[in-house]
Amino acid sequence: MAKLRLEITKGEEIRYISHLDYASAMERAIIRAKIPVAYSEGFNPHMKLSFASALAVGVTSQAEYVDIECKEEVDLSQAIKRLTAALPLGILIKGAKYIQGNVPALMAIVNLATYDVTVPLLAEDIGIIEDSIRWFNEAETVSYVRESPKGKKEIEVKQYMAKAVKIVPLEKAVRLMLEIKITPTGSIKPGEVVVALVGMFDLPVDIDNLLIHRTGLYISDGNVQVSPVEL
Amino acid sequence: MRERNIPLYTLESLKPVKEFDIVGFSLQYEMSYSNVLNMLDLARIPLLTVERDENMPIIIGGGPCTFNGEPVADFFDCLVLGEGEEVMEDIVAAVAAWKKLGKVDGKSGILKKLAQIGGVYVPSLYDVTYHEDGTVANVAPNSPEAPAVVTKRVVKDLNTVGYATKPIVPFLDIVHDRIMLELFRGCTRGCRFCQAGVLYRPVRERRPEVLLKMAKEMVDSTGYNEISLTSLSSADYSCLPGLVDSLMDELKEQGVSVSLPSLRIDSFSIDLAQKVQQVRKSGLTFAPEAGSQRLRDVINKGVTQKNLEDAVTAAFQAGWSSVKLYFMMGLPTETDEDVLGIADLAYKVLDLYKEIKGRRGAKVTVSVSCFVPKPHTPFQWFGQNIAGEFERKQQLLKARLRDKNITFNWHDARTSFLEGAFARGDRRLGQVLLKAWQNGARFDGWSEYFKYDVWMDAFKTCGMDPYFYATRDRNFDEIMPWDHLSSGASKEFLQREYEQAVTEQLTSDCRRENCSACGVCPGLGVEVLDWGNKA
Repeated sequence: MAKLRLEITKGEEIRYISHLDYASAMERAIIRAKIPVAYSEGFNPHMKLSFASALAVGVTSQAEYVDIECKEEVDLSQAIKRLTAALPLGILIKGAKYIQGNVPALMAIVNLATYDVTVPLLAEDIGIIEDSIRWFNEAETVSYVRESPKGKKEIEVKQYMAKAVKIVPLEKAVRLMLEIKITPTGSIKPGEVVVALVGMFDLPVDIDNLLIHRTGLYISDGNVQVSPVEL
Repeated sequence: MRERNIPLYTLESLKPVKEFDIVGFSLQYEMSYSNVLNMLDLARIPLLTVERDENMPIIIGGGPCTFNGEPVADFFDCLVLGEGEEVMEDIVAAVAAWKKLGKVDGKSGILKKLAQIGGVYVPSLYDVTYHEDGTVANVAPNSPEAPAVVTKRVVKDLNTVGYATKPIVPFLDIVHDRIMLELFRGCTRGCRFCQAGVLYRPVRERRPEVLLKMAKEMVDSTGYNEISLTSLSSADYSCLPGLVDSLMDELKEQGVSVSLPSLRIDSFSIDLAQKVQQVRKSGLTFAPEAGSQRLRDVINKGVTQKNLEDAVTAAFQAGWSSVKLYFMMGLPTETDEDVLGIADLAYKVLDLYKEIKGRRGAKVTVSVSCFVPKPHTPFQWFGQNIAGEFERKQQLLKARLRDKNITFNWHDARTSFLEGAFARGDRRLGQVLLKAWQNGARFDGWSEYFKYDVWMDAFKTCGMDPYFYATRDRNFDEIMPWDHLSSGASKEFLQREYEQAVTEQLTSDCRRENCSACGVCPGLGVEVLDWGNKA
């Protein structure tokens, strides 16, 4: 059975919907577009969709990936055309291809995520920002305490940083470019990295007003990185 | 939103509510009134109709509560009685014409125009006077444009009226997050506690081929994967088995399932439930409403102990093991014996399972609500039980339902008491509502937000007595605050039904059997549309 792999966006219009709601929006669009999608067996059949990675409420993305298992192969350009017409504002199709045979799940192969975090500055002097980022980049380890209903957990942040954090100064704001590893044993959220930057490296930004945008999801071997539709 | 200075806006167009010509609220439940005020306030629209000029949106209410919209009369410019499909167009046309001509005669100009449209009630065009004992003395129009009695709008034939096939599909999970396919409108079984049964008369069925077409269009336009066959009593749809077959045939490929929101208590319903659950499986719910045969006769719920036993037997044989039973307490003539009858039924269901399956293991959920007498029903004269009495009966039943396989849920008696006061309230409750909202009442239907004391303080501050509205028995000759708002069913019919109730006499369903002369069909020029009967 063929899988239709899509590269899609989560735009500004739907920044504040959850991953589950994003997934149902896709499911409904697939029904509207009459894509011959496969369903699971059993009493409670569900559409066979799998996403590469869940996106948090409040985060936008220019590159999400989903595999749609199909019962038959509709001509690719037809499928894209029909889906595009059925999708709500905020979800655009940027790439698509059919994948044949039994391939590993997206979730299992994607191991790198890149983000742009835009956040208002609380200081005029860009030097302070640069210092703070440099300290972070040069630190051997950075520990962050994640609090959840299950309790507190200490996490070492740097193990997940694929590259040094880069900055782009903007008008009264700064853009941080993060490259974060997704590992079988876990990862760190971009917002958590910023919390660590503010809390431990005195990054002078207004953390209540940060905007996170995912710029890419990749399969990386440390040297070469490709997106799931480039495989 | 207040803190950040954001006015209430619409989700679709992101436009401030205040900038619209007309703002409509659906009044489904009395306990949502405080939220209506809150929304108006968030939208920065003055709450009281007298404070709004022609530059403010026209505030319109619809839904069952408008049939006694008196408690919200101070806030709404007009209330629409009955079905919206046709009257909505009349209203929009009138407002558009008025606007085009430069809003002639301002706000009062448009209200007088609207008052002339059938089914539209403009509360400010009526004066209410009261007797010394607090009951209504007279309700009379204060303007020649307003009719003495406003009668509900009703769509003659649902097959020819337009229907929305492209509903908005929200991103977020909502209540009823599925396609709602309305099979028919109205229900003439004549349960005497039921307000919807009176308000939506007569029964008018859609043709199966129309429904099938609607269903397909809606799946294509929404992408929903579930269709709920809605109606007041869906299992009464005369062409149901054939419709269910064709819906499932046509839509199964697309992964679309069909569900029935309510089941009639008989084995026919179980067969159907079994059929529709080929795709998705859920629990079964029945509503015997009362625990004893005597009391079920009082409320004209034409269900016998045997019906229930047959239905549950069929359900257990078909593989279900959990059953939910809905009841009410506080019905007219109710005794403790009737209340304990609820427990007997619950145990009977457990026993039946053991008989059929040879082992224990059934789960029974018993949900008991507190009966709230509603306007335009045969029980509109009946004084609601006081909260203490409800609580005593709840404890009585709880003590009897001590089996780990039975879950007992009951409603908060104080919420029902407040609902009772507003359901049969008059215009003077508007000030109580305003005061309670000012003191923080919101989301009163949600137990975690319900602030009973705020409401009681509001009654006290306004010098009003909630017991006068909720728990007082009325005389048949008392003028009700809603007597000028007509559902088409006559007061004589309601009174006859009340008298039949207390003498435990049944009234048959007028759809197939004798007409019970409620007055709706001749009065409104409509008739029962029942395709199964005519075919």
